[in-house]
Amino acid sequence: MPDIVERRRNLAPWIAFLFTLLAVALNGLTFVTLRGTQVILWSSYLAGLIALVYGIIGIGRAFGRSQVFGGKVSSSIFGLLALAVCALTVFIWYHARALPASTGAPQVGQKAPEFTLPDTQGHNVSLAQLLGHGDSVTTSNAGGAAPKAVLLIFYRGYW
Amino acid sequence: MAISVDAPEVSRDLAAKAGYTFPILSDTSTEVIRRYDLLHKGGGPDGSDISRPAEFLVDSSGVVRWVNFTEDIRIRARAEQMLAAAREIPH
Repeated sequence: MPDIVERRRNLAPWIAFLFTLLAVALNGLTFVTLRGTQVILWSSYLAGLIALVYGIIGIGRAFGRSQVFGGKVSSSIFGLLALAVCALTVFIWYHARALPASTGAPQVGQKAPEFTLPDTQGHNVSLAQLLGHGDSVTTSNAGGAAPKAVLLIFYRGYW
Repeated sequence: MAISVDAPEVSRDLAAKAGYTFPILSDTSTEVIRRYDLLHKGGGPDGSDISRPAEFLVDSSGVVRWVNFTEDIRIRARAEQMLAAAREIPH
């Protein structure tokens, strides 16, 4: 009498799906939050990798050991989804690093180029002013000591 | 202080929402951004030119003491790094 093969649930594709969602959520979080983005990024890469591994295991079980495992459809869908998300992660990684070389930017030890630009109220502000070089009449904190240093933050914009 | 291509009205919005008290300057023509060689052509929405993220710590004599060029726009310089660099500058 032949042995009855015990059927087991193929959970791997579902685990893959869970980690796929996690990877997407974490990756999306890096564009919204300001702190800890490096850690969040590594977590998202790890989640994506785990998703891919379980996706492959799921497909392997459904098609390779179909006597024991079901889930040909779910494993195919979730496996491909994990792969798609991993590909998307690589694409985003590439895009986030596609920045100009900026070799002409001032280096440590060089003078910061002078400039005069309008602030949010439309008043012109110059670097010299910020550094306390101008007349005390023109600086906004007239009478105060010149700042030790100024941090210039160039950013992409608010959009 | 912060610099971007945004017009003053947009920066006012940002300052109000985020509660920033430091000056936010508008470089709508990207002239200063280009002077600092930070132009990111087509990096903005609708392919507009914007600045790549970069920070410069400038001492009172106008000399750059610390720079940060992020290689990945999602990873920003930590405040501790900037403060440590600022502390290094002698009076």
